[in-house]
Amino acid sequence: MGNNRFKLLIVEDEAGIASFLEALLKANGYQVLTACSCSAGLSLFASHMPDLVILDLGLPDRDGADFIRTVRRESAAPIVVLSARSTEPDKVQALDAGANDYITKPFGNAELLARVRAALRAARQGEAQAGPGARFCAGGLAIDYERRLVSVDGREVKLTQTEYNIVCFLSLHAGRVMTYAAIARAIWGGTDAGSTKKLQVNMANIRKKFGVRPGGNPYIRNELGVGYRMADGDGGAKNAAGNKED
Amino acid sequence: MRNAARSILLMALILGASFGAMIALQHWFDIQAVAPMTFVLAVFLVSLVTSGYAWGIAASLVSVLAVNFAFTFPYFQLNFSLPENMLSGVVMLFVAVMTSALTTRLKKQQRMRAESEAETMRANLLRAVSHDLRTPLTAIYGSCSTIVENYDSLDKGQQLQLLRQVCADASWLNRMVENLLSITRVSGSGIALDKTPTVLEELVDAVLVSFKAHFPGQTVTVEIPEAFITIPMDPMLIQQVLVNLLENAVRHAVGMTRLTLRVTVQGARAVFEVIDNGCGLPAGGADSLLRGESGRTAVDSRRSGMGIGLSVCSTIVRAHGGQLSALPTPGGGATFRFWLDLEEEAHG
Repeated sequence: MGNNRFKLLIVEDEAGIASFLEALLKANGYQVLTACSCSAGLSLFASHMPDLVILDLGLPDRDGADFIRTVRRESAAPIVVLSARSTEPDKVQALDAGANDYITKPFGNAELLARVRAALRAARQGEAQAGPGARFCAGGLAIDYERRLVSVDGREVKLTQTEYNIVCFLSLHAGRVMTYAAIARAIWGGTDAGSTKKLQVNMANIRKKFGVRPGGNPYIRNELGVGYRMADGDGGAKNAAGNKED
Repeated sequence: MRNAARSILLMALILGASFGAMIALQHWFDIQAVAPMTFVLAVFLVSLVTSGYAWGIAASLVSVLAVNFAFTFPYFQLNFSLPENMLSGVVMLFVAVMTSALTTRLKKQQRMRAESEAETMRANLLRAVSHDLRTPLTAIYGSCSTIVENYDSLDKGQQLQLLRQVCADASWLNRMVENLLSITRVSGSGIALDKTPTVLEELVDAVLVSFKAHFPGQTVTVEIPEAFITIPMDPMLIQQVLVNLLENAVRHAVGMTRLTLRVTVQGARAVFEVIDNGCGLPAGGADSLLRGESGRTAVDSRRSGMGIGLSVCSTIVRAHGGQLSALPTPGGGATFRFWLDLEEEAHG
């Protein structure tokens, strides 16, 4: 694995969680640094410039959102936030402050690793570069960006302009949760009182056209009260940049 | 502030009514005899319906003046020299103070009773929790110490088996603790729920995804309206209620072959039902199940947690202004049903 392993920084005050995260990530081939407070985390960040930060939101010395903003001033390194359940406003706040994704405690190891991989991949290829000929595939879902075609299980899905824009936007950030506000800003250029509702209605139509039933939607996950997350892409063209990972 | 305005209004209403009645009746009765009695009653009523001493005393002072001025000789002038007038004034003041003191004490007693009921409920819950948490904790502790103490003599397979059990127990504990956290969130005094309009289909999707993660083998039949419906709720809490109810059916509905999650719109309400065709509800036990008083958790499987799960559901639904009930499914089995309002109440 040599020296080209990704360097991750874990900022977590609970020693138990920090040590198991460290063991899990090291076992999966990452280099790991740990800090038990925001200030220690910031100084480690400045001296080591990690590729990704895993940040617990409930740190004793400083507000997590504050940490995110400080890091964002000088770096675009992805930040994955760990948060307790039932605190949707905190998650939205962290995402708005510049975090790339969140994962809710208690989480499964596979889920955490998937989020880390998605965040690293997105950061490396500089997302939103849907060049000519680019395609997105996730399971039975395929998007041809150039021809603006979406198909599910080989069957073409006729989407409206807005619906296509939503699906396209989510696929460009596949594997990561996008807040209602972030999607609305990207699609309509701004948010107002009715934009979440408008988005939800469009989303319902998309689900109908995809032919998915509740509990059986493998393409777009609902993050209740926060936003939507498209399933991680199968790779293909996208993986070309991800060789460092393997 | 609203309280003071209400008290003034009530006082004005009662005294005004008394005054009006006396004016109207003065041709038929000996007003000198009836008026003081009527106003004593008025003072009593004011003291009864307002809180604290101030309003009763104010009412009695006004009454003394009113009786003295309008209804005792000499009519329509104040005269404090007559001892009868002074005496009726003192009586009214006395009535006002005594009534206020009594009603204040009564209200305090009612509050204390409500508090002690809440206390009992909390104690019941705590008992159920302690029991339900102790069992998996004991297992986790036992398995871990076994591995640590016999690391070299246990083969890999045995260690793995013990560790898998630890994982399962810990994951169950985690869910139980989530439940408890939700209870503290909704039953904490004065904390308003953070209700957001939630798309029914997305809620059901999230419920099924979460449920399938724990019970991949169990199929759930879903019956929801085709239309686009949003319901104001705290989505994480209601999700938890539905997952708990489904889980409850899997654990307790012995002989179940069909598990249904049905949502219907009835008037201004969305009605949620989790329907199983298993062994049905314990005789006469449905209500105590919902109150979290059930002592049968110990008899059931060690993973029951039914007492906690259902009383969490009930608490969350009630905090949303709804109601959870348990009824028999026609043809056998149990149905857990609750409703939520489709519209947010006007005052928010």
